[in-house]
Amino acid sequence: MQTKENAMTDTPSAVEKPTDPAIESGLERLTPERIRQVIQQVLKKETGPRFKAYVETCMRCGLCADACSYFLSNDRDPQFMPAAKVKNTVWQMLKKDGNVSRDFLRRAVRISHLECNACKRCAMYCPFGIDIAYMMLLVRRICHKLEITPQYIQDTVNSHSVTLNQMWVKDDEWIDTLQWQEEDARDEFEDLQIPLDKVGADIMYSVIAPEPKFQAGLIYQAATMMHAAGMDWTMPSSPGWDNSNMAMYTGDNEISGRIARKFFETAAKLRVKRIVMGECGHAFRSVYDMGNRWNSWVMPPFEVVHALAFYHELLTQGRITIKEKYKKKVTLHDPCNVSRGRGLHDKAREVVNLVCKDFVEMTPNREHNYCCGAGGGVINCGPPYKGERMVNNRVKAEQLAATGAEVLIAPCHNCHSGLEDIIQHYDLKMEIKFLGDLIYETMEKKIYEPEA
Amino acid sequence: MNSFIAFIMGPMVWISVIIFLGGLIFKLVGILGAVRQKEPYIYSYVTLKHSLRSIGAWLIPFFPRSARLSPVYYGISYLFHILLFLVPLFLASHIVLINEAFQISWPALNDSVADVLTLGVIAALIFFAVRRIRVPEVKYLTGAMDYLLILVVLLPFLTGFLAYHQWVAYQWITVIHILSGELMLIIIPFSRFSHMLNAPLTRAYMGSEFGHVRQARDW
Amino acid sequence: MAYSNRFIMFLIVLFAAVGTGFFSYAGQDLERLDPWAFDSPRRPGAVFSHDDHIFLLDDDCSVCHHVYENGELIPDESSEDLYCSDCHSLKPMPDNPMPLEAAYHNLCRDCHFDRGEGPVLCGECHVKE
Ligand code: HEM
Ligand code: SF4
Ligand code: SF4
Ligand code: SF4
Repeated sequence: MQTKENAMTDTPSAVEKPTDPAIESGLERLTPERIRQVIQQVLKKETGPRFKAYVETCMRCGLCADACSYFLSNDRDPQFMPAAKVKNTVWQMLKKDGNVSRDFLRRAVRISHLECNACKRCAMYCPFGIDIAYMMLLVRRICHKLEITPQYIQDTVNSHSVTLNQMWVKDDEWIDTLQWQEEDARDEFEDLQIPLDKVGADIMYSVIAPEPKFQAGLIYQAATMMHAAGMDWTMPSSPGWDNSNMAMYTGDNEISGRIARKFFETAAKLRVKRIVMGECGHAFRSVYDMGNRWNSWVMPPFEVVHALAFYHELLTQGRITIKEKYKKKVTLHDPCNVSRGRGLHDKAREVVNLVCKDFVEMTPNREHNYCCGAGGGVINCGPPYKGERMVNNRVKAEQLAATGAEVLIAPCHNCHSGLEDIIQHYDLKMEIKFLGDLIYETMEKKIYEPEA
Repeated sequence: MNSFIAFIMGPMVWISVIIFLGGLIFKLVGILGAVRQKEPYIYSYVTLKHSLRSIGAWLIPFFPRSARLSPVYYGISYLFHILLFLVPLFLASHIVLINEAFQISWPALNDSVADVLTLGVIAALIFFAVRRIRVPEVKYLTGAMDYLLILVVLLPFLTGFLAYHQWVAYQWITVIHILSGELMLIIIPFSRFSHMLNAPLTRAYMGSEFGHVRQARDW
Repeated sequence: MAYSNRFIMFLIVLFAAVGTGFFSYAGQDLERLDPWAFDSPRRPGAVFSHDDHIFLLDDDCSVCHHVYENGELIPDESSEDLYCSDCHSLKPMPDNPMPLEAAYHNLCRDCHFDRGEGPVLCGECHVKE
């Protein structure tokens, strides 16, 4: 416990401030003229009355401060409060009509990319419902157009652009991985299949690229569940299988839109009834909330079912039964993008209670959860920023420690990776699992038979 | 002097009320038009039910978690906003003037009650100013304009209070009272006080985005 | 420092000037009207000088002590023998739509506005006791 105490008193000054080569070389290429043009173009042409209302309505009341885990984690340092992030970016840009310096922009990249998870918690704390995440994404849009996006996350966007997946997964690599998981899973169910490109199936199952890249076991688990539950499902063999969308977080709306469009087109080609996706928060946001909007669909053209809701369906319909409940004391992290982003927190709790014996809440929870500190593209800015990410989410560590749970369930890829780092850094002595891990571990390995 | 007073008590009242109401209506029409033109998607996300749900939730005292985290400020601000409308509209002296002009009247506050409530408004405004100096995160956001806005609201209430008691320079105080009240009305549509109009709109949008799309609560 | 000193000086002079103006303006031999006809008056009775008004109106009492019949002013008749409240009731009535309070306010204040002299603001007549 001693080490944890020490770790928790890390101060921001103890963290190195590396310079990002992509930002630096991008800044060098900029001329005042270009800076001004881009800022004016984005803030005047790409926004409307909503942005105007946000800017002119903020009463500087400071109520949003208590929403932000960055502010709370940094001993209430005012520069981390949500409205301050707007003050130090958007308000200045507007005041100076786009005539801002490179130093200003270097700071703006960090504020928008690394000091905001776009988690929208502050929108629930501002009495006017001012959406600061939206404005931070506008700043990222400006950074994107100025080509000063941090290196690591830009690389994922480049990958999206070339391969339509986030991790440079090659087409044959993808199919190989699925076959490999299928083979492995046949040890448990001898006729298990991962049906590829099955036109007219009920469900298209989709994952994010990190799964085939380094968490292939998750595909195995999902296939097992699908098979045991007797679902009519399929996975696409060609690009369009990845539902992640990093371009959404860099403000590269054009590529972001392309990704979402391709995704829905893939589902349309397979003529499925609905799309089920793995445990990922931002991917869900991309296809449920943002990608569809960019492509002019008010709501997604397919029913999109997040893993949490899907597990709920399988368990409550008895398609999957639990052999013996998980015994260790568990707690649940509500991923912003599916709790605040889709109200799935109550279903998540029902599932946890169906699967686990001993569930303890962390507080605050549900819509009021603290973000994992990794979301909104922050973790995707890569290792150079890991140190500050740990400092910037001390509240999460404190919140986790207070539960006394042995196992932390994090049903979102970003959250999962981010919280794993937090657990390590703050030496929390917790295991971290996906909800699917627990279901797989506790479920009865038999095929569902509908009662006649 | 009397002709000047006649002007600020007559035509100037009309001018300021017309600018106030007209400004707000003009602004509202502008916003709705701009939404149609530039962000028409807003119309497809906003629903009456979720807008009202959110506005309602935020009107229940201390219901939103945000309010419970800052109960003192929120409570004072809540009362301040009620009094801001209540005191001027139900002040006997104002009702008499309206009655003489339009032969309509409504029940008035007792004078000494109104006096205390006015002090309440003044105290709240002083609290806002002090808070801007004392609370670091609020101080960080505060600029000269924020104090100026507080002053604009403070003036009519302070001079109204002084005029009622007739302690000093009654005539001048009353003239300043009338002028500053008119000034406040006039700048509402053109300053951040336009949050009077924007608040229900931004709340409606966020309430709908949370309630309708995200199926979550926003309070 | 110099700036704020000068500002304070300015304020003092301003208030002094205003103060003298106000107190010298208050005329002589003022009497206070007794608001007995009102149920529970919110303000003290108005202060006013009858002599000044007789002088300023050239002894034409009927300007204030007027007589109306069927809504028409009767010229050359006056009503010094009546109380205002004999005709003006507290609430507007069909036979006399002008209630007592408004009768006072309109008669006094409007005349002061028209002539460009005399008190017009509430507290200038209803001076605190
Ligand atoms: C009926 C419409 C109005 C609504 C819904 C409203 C709402 C709000 C809200 C939500 C805040 C932010 C923080 C807080 O909760 O206090 C606020 C602050 C404020 N409002 Fe209003 N308001 C309205 C009308 C007005 C008007 C007409 C004025 C003045 C002319 C005004 C003056 C202020 C001031 C001065 C503050 C800032 C207090 C501070 O300095 O922290 N409000 N208002
Ligand atoms: S969106 Fe989240 S991380 Fe960003 S400012 Fe708001 S509360 Fe903080
Ligand atoms: S809570 Fe809203 S109005 Fe208040 S400072 Fe934050 S963004 Fe501005
Ligand atoms: S990574 Fe998880 S907790 Fe964080 S923003 Fe995404 S969903 Fe939220």
